[in-house]
Amino acid sequence: MAFLDNSGDIILDAVLTDAGRKRLARGDGTFKVAKYAFGDDEIDYGSYNASHASGSAYFDLEILQTPVLEAFTNNRSSLKSKLISVTNNNLLYLPQLVLNEVGILTQRIPDSATNSLSSGSFLVVVDDLTSNQLVDDAGATFSHRIMFGSGHLNPGNNHIRIDQGLNTTKLDAANKLSAELTEQQYMIQMDNRLGSITDVFVGAQGSPSFIDDDQIATYYVTKNVGKYIENCEPGALGSPDFVEDLNKGAETLSGPRGTKLRFGFRSSANLQASDYLFDTIGRSATVGSETYGCIDTTVKITGVTTGYSIDIPVTFAKKTS
Amino acid sequence: MANSFKTLLPEDVATTRTLLHEAIPVTGTIVSGTYDDENIKTFAHGMYEAVYDYPYLSSSANHIFDITAGYSPESALSAASNTQNAKKINIYSQMAQVLVGYDVTGAIQQFDVDGNLGGGDKMKECFFLNFSRLLTKDEIKKDSFRLDLYSTSSGVSDADNRADLFSIGDYGAQTEYLTNSPAGEYGLLYTASSSPKGDVVGHIYYQAGVAVLTASYFEGAFGDPEGPGADESDGLARQVDDQFTGSTISEMANGLRYAYDNIDFNNTTELNSTIYFCRANNTEFNYSSNPTYLSDSEIVVKGNNPTANPVSYITTVGLYSPDNELLAVAKLSEPLKKTPANELTLRVRLDY
Repeated sequence: MAFLDNSGDIILDAVLTDAGRKRLARGDGTFKVAKYAFGDDEIDYGSYNASHASGSAYFDLEILQTPVLEAFTNNRSSLKSKLISVTNNNLLYLPQLVLNEVGILTQRIPDSATNSLSSGSFLVVVDDLTSNQLVDDAGATFSHRIMFGSGHLNPGNNHIRIDQGLNTTKLDAANKLSAELTEQQYMIQMDNRLGSITDVFVGAQGSPSFIDDDQIATYYVTKNVGKYIENCEPGALGSPDFVEDLNKGAETLSGPRGTKLRFGFRSSANLQASDYLFDTIGRSATVGSETYGCIDTTVKITGVTTGYSIDIPVTFAKKTS
Repeated sequence: MANSFKTLLPEDVATTRTLLHEAIPVTGTIVSGTYDDENIKTFAHGMYEAVYDYPYLSSSANHIFDITAGYSPESALSAASNTQNAKKINIYSQMAQVLVGYDVTGAIQQFDVDGNLGGGDKMKECFFLNFSRLLTKDEIKKDSFRLDLYSTSSGVSDADNRADLFSIGDYGAQTEYLTNSPAGEYGLLYTASSSPKGDVVGHIYYQAGVAVLTASYFEGAFGDPEGPGADESDGLARQVDDQFTGSTISEMANGLRYAYDNIDFNNTTELNSTIYFCRANNTEFNYSSNPTYLSDSEIVVKGNNPTANPVSYITTVGLYSPDNELLAVAKLSEPLKKTPANELTLRVRLDY
């Protein structure tokens, strides 16, 4: 008589994250485990060989041998990719988040040998002095791509745009993404020391849901609350139209589309008033004859429904001399 | 609606209490010998000696226990002319206050040999071994404490001249411990395990992590080899009573160290755990948001076949707050395959 297989019931020891410890120490009842998620951070699905000659038992041989790392206690380092529950098992496609840079107001600073200020990232200038100087110094190469973080100077409504949908030519883009997979809410995480998000089409500053022990602020933006989230336009891609939002020429996904997320930045008062953070966690760059302090950071956007996420490089710059 | 979180229901959460035991041996060579007393820390106030597991000036050293001694103000040995008389009384009173408590008049009670405070013999001159929390954790396990100690240590620096080794222990304390101490439960220390158990020579306080040993245990010679009466021809200070009157607390602690052969006990750690039953039903968690899961938005594990079952692999379980902040993480030892053809329950334990 064989032994019973007990592999379906496993006990695991959990470690508190730094954010969990902080909440526990606060003793104000905010340490409450209410939900769980499964992650597969170490898995490279590219190793899945669905055409292995020896059959399906060998498809995931490489994946099952993947060594798993011990738990990180940094709350931002774990569960970066989560497993998703979808009732339909016959899906062949899942939506992605894609950075949309078609519109002239949604473009990063291009790679350039002459530009050490911000290469391949979105550029946010933190005060009016920097704005005025940089527009003069930068010239046509990227002056129109500058995001103004000082609050009242954002004449072009420069912003970051993330589109959600299927990036494939195998499906008709005239169809909408299924409601089950369409994001109605996004989570945006950024360094709270540097600034906050703004609803550029309303002119309102975002309010974080919480700020963790590493000063990472988490914002939740919801469709029909402000103008952060709108539906993408359906239909085949037309010729690129640089005037974003007027027609489907500003779309970037080839297949059925869901929603688009648009937001800008407001630099923090500390960044505007002090060079301290530029000196401690930043670097310096020169454009023309002027020296600027730069802080490179990453803004993480996650779809709350699908858990799909994308990291956006952003540089905060300030004239320091 | 697709979802990457699942809410924990009341039936998905359970709490447990587990007692964890570790065996703690402290050999005599650590207490005297191996480190040439560089692991023995004395203090200017002279109230006790601290024993470390390594020379205490090293950052690697851990404090393992303290040794001190004292007598009751009612002891026949107590006299103003004694060396450190006030300190010895102070030590005894302090330990008695904490471990025995006060009588109805508010007077400090003395250590009672059989634990019956109503009467009987008292232990008026005592040695105290105060174990570090690092060793005892939450408490010492009952019926696990064994102290091998010579009752005679003539020529104390020469092990051959030590004699009458007893294995003092709280024999039978698993079912015969006492509870009339303000510091929690305690057991009597006997000189022998078989029935009759031998003499009661002290107490072991389980939660406090303190062993109290009556000075009368030492029947023969006793003392610090460097201290008063080190010359064995000097009959005065080679008896424990004489040491109590004429030696410092540190010198008496040295005498105890050189009579010491071994200590063994088990400690206890009380683990309070919450177990979260993280269930993945057959229709759940079969897809992934891993960037490598898609190629041009197409699910790579499907092999271009929409009717093929989706597959995902679990390596991590995250526990979240209501506002989706990650509070705790548990890792699997290897990836766990999840398909619509299987269901999993992962029990995630969070210890406090």
